[in-house]
Amino acid sequence: MNHLTLDVLVGLREPGTEPGQAAARQHLDSCTHCQAELERLHQRVARLKSLPTLRPARDRWPETRARFQAERRRRRTRLAGFTGLAAAASVAAFLAVGNVPRPVEMTGDQLSQVMERSQVLESALNEYNPEGRVIDGRTARIAGEIEDRIARLDRELEMTELLRQQATDQDLLKLWRERVGLLDALVDVHVTRASNAGL
Amino acid sequence: MTRTLLMDSSLLANAETVVSRARTGDTEALGELFRAFEVPVYNLARRICRTTEDAEDVLQETFFEVCRSINRYREEGSLWGWIRTIAASKALMRLRRNKYRDADELHDEVVGNRKEDTHLRMDLEAALERLSETSRAVVWLHDVEGYTHEEIANMMGKTPSFSKSQLSRAHARLRTWLGEEMIP
Repeated sequence: MNHLTLDVLVGLREPGTEPGQAAARQHLDSCTHCQAELERLHQRVARLKSLPTLRPARDRWPETRARFQAERRRRRTRLAGFTGLAAAASVAAFLAVGNVPRPVEMTGDQLSQVMERSQVLESALNEYNPEGRVIDGRTARIAGEIEDRIARLDRELEMTELLRQQATDQDLLKLWRERVGLLDALVDVHVTRASNAGL
Repeated sequence: MTRTLLMDSSLLANAETVVSRARTGDTEALGELFRAFEVPVYNLARRICRTTEDAEDVLQETFFEVCRSINRYREEGSLWGWIRTIAASKALMRLRRNKYRDADELHDEVVGNRKEDTHLRMDLEAALERLSETSRAVVWLHDVEGYTHEEIANMMGKTPSFSKSQLSRAHARLRTWLGEEMIP
């Protein structure tokens, strides 16, 4: 006598009927061997369901919360940055109309370079995508602190741009250099952590 | 009431209030969600992933996603059902990312990574660990969590037939390893 294969028995547990199952059920009704096999399958599944619940050895909430809060701060910073950029553009237009003296060429070049470097670092961070990665508590805290400082600096930059008549390009250059330094540190925190952890 | 809705009420009595607060970004409410579902999420992840570290990472990734996406949760289904699907997807992503060997034989060096508590494990636990990642994931998701082959296939990016054959092969191996084979 040909008994039902395990494939067929496993399939018989599914709701609905597939081709060939009617014959299999008919065989099952009359075969004690296959009935016993199906019963073993049911018992195995019941035992799987009653395996002990495994619990995490340590609390992962502080890290998860820190990561979520860091991402929320980043989103706010981006929004603030966008607003600042728009405001700066308006001021630039106003200054052009108002015929305010242009900044010294040398500082202007330096400023462009530093701003460009800032963009490169931001792109590197975006590419690295820290939000999409698992992060340990210490890294999250340090990254969070640096991001807070960048957010504060961005607000200061925004104000300086708005009050550009009173601020010198040297002031702006100083702030942008500080921003680049912080971004450098942030890239370092993420990338160093990743290389240490072998990620 | 479905099993997952029952889970909601047993794990988090005031789920609706907590979810409403969590949607406003209240981290205390998000923390309550974490506390309520941390153990079932970890258990699911640990049953699918090879190591405790991977399971803990899946736990973190799951709740990070929950925090980000709580506004997208529609209260049509159970909260546990929603969180569980995120956890299962993250665990399967982790398997894909790790690119573990998916052979069906016992690999001592790989099994050696799960040394913890082995002396306490029952035979079934050890047999479950001996399965390949994919087979173990399919067995757990289908037989314990109650996902259909279509749902598993969708999460794994495979076909329902793949899920069905993995389940059969897994049961054949479990049967052998547990010494349950019958002589016809």
